[in-house]
Amino acid sequence: MTVLLLAGLLAACQQAPPAPPPPQPTPQNGYGATERAFVELAIATDEQALKLLDLTDSTELKQNRNVELTELRKLLDAPYVNNHAGHDMPGMPTDAEIQLASTSPDALKQFVHTHLTESLEVVRSAGPAITHPPTAEVVKLMERHRTAELAAG
Amino acid sequence: MRKPLFHIAAVIGLIATALSVPGAAQGEPVRVAEFLAECPISHRLADDPIVLPNLAGASHFHDFFGNHSTNARSTQQSLEGQTGNCNPASDISSYWVPTLYRNNTAIAPTGVTFYYLGEGVNNPAAIQPTPYGLKIVAGNAKATGDADSIARWSCLHAGHVNPSKNFVTCPAGTMLETYLDFPQCWDGRNLDSADHKSHMSYPVAGGCPSSHPVSVPKLRMVLRYPVNGSTAGLRLASGTGQTMHGDFFNVWPRAEMERRVRNCLNVVIKCDHNGNHG
Repeated sequence: MTVLLLAGLLAACQQAPPAPPPPQPTPQNGYGATERAFVELAIATDEQALKLLDLTDSTELKQNRNVELTELRKLLDAPYVNNHAGHDMPGMPTDAEIQLASTSPDALKQFVHTHLTESLEVVRSAGPAITHPPTAEVVKLMERHRTAELAAG
Repeated sequence: MRKPLFHIAAVIGLIATALSVPGAAQGEPVRVAEFLAECPISHRLADDPIVLPNLAGASHFHDFFGNHSTNARSTQQSLEGQTGNCNPASDISSYWVPTLYRNNTAIAPTGVTFYYLGEGVNNPAAIQPTPYGLKIVAGNAKATGDADSIARWSCLHAGHVNPSKNFVTCPAGTMLETYLDFPQCWDGRNLDSADHKSHMSYPVAGGCPSSHPVSVPKLRMVLRYPVNGSTAGLRLASGTGQTMHGDFFNVWPRAEMERRVRNCLNVVIKCDHNGNHG
């Protein structure tokens, strides 16, 4: 019995998992996982939104998204990959919505408004989570743009 | 005319039942390396603590299972010590999948089982406990068709319907189900990676590759939805059925995970919810 118990304990010791690595320290105010995720998401959202906004005659909306895209791309630390294509993301019009908006002025107006309100919510949610100053600047720019665009109706 | 047919069917059924008695005598353990957790839906949020960390409300909608506290800000530290809705209650891990919709109505799965299996590797005795805090993503949320998808959709109680990578039409009285196998080879160093995938790998020819040498339990997620009939209007928050994906954040208490791996997987025995066997 003792031998069996000892054998069991030995087996248990041999099967102990490798010691997990210590958690990687998040660089203070650095471009971390949250910043990277936000920038990639914001690029995907703005690029898709432009397809919708191209259906409008508002140069301001299109110009604002393009300015944001330029600033967002400057923040990338690796080649951009669109992780959100085809997804039903807040503030990101779907292909079906863009298709519908191309034939219905009412739908276009509604989807533009939804893009602005939902992406403003995302930007406001990101605000406190973003600690990297250059990324935080772009977040503020995006919030200013959307607030003004919604106020302009 | 129908009565005799019924009798014949009943007799055939009895014979089939007699023939299907397992070879092992009653009380003998079943030689399948398996333990499990069943975790109904806990909550639904537009959050993804792995892909969009700290960005509350920025994701497509997910159905969360297990740990009740999971949200965009979840970390290993925030999840531990919380409660969940799994059977066994000791599993307070987080699991989540994109929400399923029929048109714009969300449909929650009514059967949610996470199997931890010893299959896929030739040497189950070498399987190590899943590292505490490990994050695993399975499936391809960006799939554009069958070629880049590992999704599997089928019908519960309708085995004649061929499985597909996209939604299938299930007969009345049956349920739409989906299976997802998570990668089971770990690189031995990282609990996550920038693309959330490269620290894990699927086995090759029955073994873990040298780049990912640590064999861990194979997680298989099985979801059953109260859905049958036409697939019209069905979509995931991530797109077509082919984009089915699952996320797992391991916070099984270490001792509970280790005991199950040792008593169920390493020795190839089917265990119950509590990690025990007959």
